[in-house]
Amino acid sequence: MKYAQIVFLAVICLLGLLGISCIGGGTQPGGWAGVTVHDGIVYAGTLDGRVVAINATSRDLQWSRPIVTEPSGGLACDPAAVPAAIYTTPIVVGDFIYVGIYTTHGGRMYALGISDGEVIWEYPKGGAYIGAIVGRTDIDNGIMYVTSSDSTVYALDINRNGLEEWKSEVLDEKGERHEKLWASPVVHNGAVYVSTFDGHIYALSVETGELLEWSFKLEAGFASSPVIYEDTIFLGSFDRHLYAVKMGSDVPLWKFPRENPAGNWFWASPVVNEGIVYAGCLDGKLYAIEAKTGEKLWDFNAGNPIVSSPVLMGRLLITVDESGTVYVFDLDGELANEAVPWRTIPIGADVRSSFCAHEGLVYIRGEDNWIYVVDVDRGQVSWSFPLTIEG
Amino acid sequence: MSFIEVWHLIIGNPILNVLIALSHILGGHFGLAIIALTVIVRLVSWPLTRRQLQSTKALQDMQPKIQELQKKYGKNQQKLQQEMMKLYKEAGVNPLGCLWPMLIQLPVWIALYQAIMRALATTPENLLDLAHRLYSWDVVRQAIPLSSGFLWLDLGKPDPYWILAIIVGGTMWAQQKMTTAPSVDPRQQSTARMMTLMMPFMFGFLTLMFPSGLALYWAVSNIIGIITQYFVAGGWGYLKIGSPFQPRQ
Repeated sequence: MKYAQIVFLAVICLLGLLGISCIGGGTQPGGWAGVTVHDGIVYAGTLDGRVVAINATSRDLQWSRPIVTEPSGGLACDPAAVPAAIYTTPIVVGDFIYVGIYTTHGGRMYALGISDGEVIWEYPKGGAYIGAIVGRTDIDNGIMYVTSSDSTVYALDINRNGLEEWKSEVLDEKGERHEKLWASPVVHNGAVYVSTFDGHIYALSVETGELLEWSFKLEAGFASSPVIYEDTIFLGSFDRHLYAVKMGSDVPLWKFPRENPAGNWFWASPVVNEGIVYAGCLDGKLYAIEAKTGEKLWDFNAGNPIVSSPVLMGRLLITVDESGTVYVFDLDGELANEAVPWRTIPIGADVRSSFCAHEGLVYIRGEDNWIYVVDVDRGQVSWSFPLTIEG
Repeated sequence: MSFIEVWHLIIGNPILNVLIALSHILGGHFGLAIIALTVIVRLVSWPLTRRQLQSTKALQDMQPKIQELQKKYGKNQQKLQQEMMKLYKEAGVNPLGCLWPMLIQLPVWIALYQAIMRALATTPENLLDLAHRLYSWDVVRQAIPLSSGFLWLDLGKPDPYWILAIIVGGTMWAQQKMTTAPSVDPRQQSTARMMTLMMPFMFGFLTLMFPSGLALYWAVSNIIGIITQYFVAGGWGYLKIGSPFQPRQ
């Protein structure tokens, strides 16, 4: 009988461990890199850790560059090696494309040659890592600003092979390091603005990385990256409000909704145009809000969470919900203020990545690892391209 | 509704939200929330634990008779099993009964593991996923995102100093030792000894691989188990040196 007990005990433990390992908690980062279009080439990060370049005219794969793989260290259901996750949307400047990676060991920035995807430089060098990179990088005057999971902002000189200009640990009021800095930095008037999970907005000197005098503190943490429009910062919070914060002020200019919170977080950064803030919310609604007052102009219920930031293409406002339906609003059209989309185009794949719009086409990377190109005028998917390499 | 959806609805999401709420109530310390949840789980499973302890106690009381049978039928395993089953039946004891609480804890382990990974937002996907799993309680909304620091630990990562692994392994060994009756049969005794060492070693090793938040749950659960065992069974059981049930050479 003792054998039976032992076997029973062992089976229970194994079942538990298999359950933990297989059902898991989504421990493996997948990445949701967006899409960039530059000179007729579509650049995207894939779900298997590659950066690809696709010719938008011929619809051919120009090149595909796997960044890095590493042992997972997982059990049972995990594969032997896991590709690095890419959350940052590739940025093209000159002859280079810049992308940050996220691995369980940390992160790294890469500069790839635009013509063939060759690694030109990486930061840090020598196989070292900084904190894992999630936020989109910002480039200003030849300096790239990177936020990372080690609560540090890095300034790298892209004209000198990613030479570190400075790095600045963002501190909270108690002098403790924040655990993660996932929001994208924004450069504005000689300062780098970053928002944190503990509800701070910090301004850092672009020259030295030192904290500038002004900072802002909210009780709840910030879920989205800051967006700056006419010296006002717009960003979403975990308390389910969208905030407008005037630079230099200790109190928010407004919060939206004023009273009861929205149905979920304002995860995606809003877009601001001509005095109107367009903010997608995980409650499935796209809100149009007066930038100066926080008054709601209209809202549109997509019915599914809006994870990606809206994009403007001329006078067209484009948003995509998580289920992969593209909504196009003609801001000059009669229906705009009635919150009726001019076009509604399902692509048939979930969408979490940022997307871009260029010359009447919307470029989207689906969670099925395909690129979808949507023709707004025709109201349909023009072409699509698989990013998964067979075999 | 799929199994996964039902799982999250009934077990996963309630544990996640309770953990986050506890964390906020306990001053934003996620580690304290895990300890509090462990106590709650142990309280909820107390009826089963009590049955387990009663079974263990009954098995302890039966040891002299079992050893007698082992001596008598040691060379005839089939007969020994038959006689032991008879003995268990007469005493109304189910020898596997003491293992059910462990089975009950299985879904809690899995749910807790998921809750820790999600609540601490160890990956961006986990953080986004969290948005869809949180209840609209104020206490939950105010708590996000959580800090993963607790004592020397990052609860979302394994303990780099192995301290927790030693505590998990040590407490598991002590708890097993308290309840594992020695056997006269050398083969069974050797297996039991191996098991008493193997399980703590395995869990200690797993502590080095899994988030320390889960290992914290194991450690606290083991410590509560030892304390409960001590008071309910009235002592250190077989852990005590010179136990009356130790086989005489």
